Amino acid sequence: MNIFKRLLKNRISLLGLILLLCFVFVAIAAPWLAPPKEGSDPYRIPRRGWSLEPTPPTAQYPLGLTQGQYDIYYGLIWGTRTAFRVGIIVITFRALIGIILGSIAAYYGGLLDEILMRFTDIFMSFPYLIGVVVFVSIFGPGLNNVMIPLIALGWMPYARMIRGNILAIKQEEYVLAARAIGVSDFKIITRHILPNSIFPVLIQASMQIGSIVISVSALSFLGLGAPEGYADWGQMLSFARNWMLGEQGNVLKYWFTVVYPGLAMVLFVLSWNLIGDAFRDIMDPRIQA
Amino acid sequence: MLSYIVRRLLFLPVVLFGVTALIFALISTLGPWTRVATFVPSPDAERHVDLEAIIRKYNLDDPPLKMYLRWVKNLLQGNLGWSQSSHMTVTEAIARRFPATLELTLFAVIPVIIGGIFLGVISALHHNKPLDHATRIMAITLWSMPDFVLGLAVLMVGFGVLGWFPPGRLSAWAELEVLKESFRSFTGMYTLDSLLNLRLDIFWDALRHIIAPVFTLACLWWAFMLRITRSSMLDVLNQDYVRTARAKGLSEKTVIKKHALGNALIPVTTVASSMLLGLLGGVMIVETVFNYPGLGLLTSTAATRLDVPCVVGVALFYAVILVVVNLVVDVLYSIIDPRVRLE
Repeated sequence: MNIFKRLLKNRISLLGLILLLCFVFVAIAAPWLAPPKEGSDPYRIPRRGWSLEPTPPTAQYPLGLTQGQYDIYYGLIWGTRTAFRVGIIVITFRALIGIILGSIAAYYGGLLDEILMRFTDIFMSFPYLIGVVVFVSIFGPGLNNVMIPLIALGWMPYARMIRGNILAIKQEEYVLAARAIGVSDFKIITRHILPNSIFPVLIQASMQIGSIVISVSALSFLGLGAPEGYADWGQMLSFARNWMLGEQGNVLKYWFTVVYPGLAMVLFVLSWNLIGDAFRDIMDPRIQA
Repeated sequence: MLSYIVRRLLFLPVVLFGVTALIFALISTLGPWTRVATFVPSPDAERHVDLEAIIRKYNLDDPPLKMYLRWVKNLLQGNLGWSQSSHMTVTEAIARRFPATLELTLFAVIPVIIGGIFLGVISALHHNKPLDHATRIMAITLWSMPDFVLGLAVLMVGFGVLGWFPPGRLSAWAELEVLKESFRSFTGMYTLDSLLNLRLDIFWDALRHIIAPVFTLACLWWAFMLRITRSSMLDVLNQDYVRTARAKGLSEKTVIKKHALGNALIPVTTVASSMLLGLLGGVMIVETVFNYPGLGLLTSTAATRLDVPCVVGVALFYAVILVVVNLVVDVLYSIIDPRVRLE
């Protein structure tokens, strides 16, 4: 709780928290902010026409319509949900795999530790984004096919971190005492060791949500992520690609196709990074002059 | 030291085995046609010959282990398969595109390192003062900017509004000049080659094309560098030996230059490898945005056309570069910082 108070006190992280709360609100209130048509999939952005050329903002569609007449306002609102969902799913599984492998390696040590850590090294020597692209080009595009490799190529830092933390805790007296009275390995790890080493890892992991949303959107931008018409910020930006140079004499004619989805993404990622940055300073006791 | 390097070198094949085995397992789930294109190193896969005949001719129904060994043997001979999206062998495609990406990365690395370190040190020296807050907020904002958003913005302003920085790698006329016999290709990097050929007009054209993607790449990593340098410098400034140096009356300039800076830069070298990783990934997005024909554009085009051999070939190429760079960085680290004992 002390940490939370300090986050509130710091003006930079307070700004981040407020921004983040706004996004949480938008995600929760999506059905009221942008009511989907009865009976249709809410994550499909409605098309307000069939012309390819974007339509500038009007009273009816406040943020305009992007390529293919997809409603930008609707896409942004429901895209917030996509961003949170993707970020949370990827982070949860990354942390889970990292924690399981890291704690097994640290607790048992020896050969098992060596094997698991070399395994980690192999995964680390795979160029991250390229690895995702390999996976997607083999199994075909789609949000799930982007998330799976993002999980598979992202758990290693957590495994290393948790391993380091546990190695430090393992020799503490209360762990030795638990072992002496015959508590099972599984119980020692889950009841005694993890609660004392997991917290910093979980915090670190959740701060990565912003960068995961960037990666997923980048792949959607390349046309490897969400299918066309799915409410996803990266995809809305890939629609903008063909129009951002406007037309002869009016270069900024289609500015709204880039600016609104871009702004949503930058603010979302910024909110996580503002909190994360303040957090790093708080957690690092050396930097407290 | 030597034993450490030897151990790392011995580990290299283990890593490469892991990476190839992983990729091979993924490829094995593919449909027959794509698999043929992956394993058959010739344009045969493009012609519509009898699938059965190809499978028989190249023994594609062998057990997996045998297939894997043969595939690796091919890889070792530089045979990465046929790329359908670029109509040439993957090896050739990589060889043609790599200089462009290398040029882009080299141009980006220099401003990132110099600018990032400089501002990071300034920021740390003004810890919690307005200047520190300003650079920090700027860095976080840039860092939060997805590369394709920033790239689109740069393209919109730099080309759309100002008309200064066109996309692509060369203008059409320069492209023709470069293909002429009188233009000798030394490195494949146009800015360097044009200078060596004493063709300032081509140099200027290449420079105009490379500035926007370099700027986009550099902005992101510049923020990263700044943050690392800042926290490491803050850490060093709180150390006892810096306090001692100040206590004995050295000028602030001497304290920082002689005592603090060198030590603060040690952790910065370790992030170099992760920066390179990020640059390689970022290159894919930035090259696509600016239509810059390097490895990144090759990969993203190949991926959208489901050209598996090409994507896999680039991934393997990157994996080798990565392992080597990591090794070099680790060794350099131990040379810079004598406290680090490599075991």
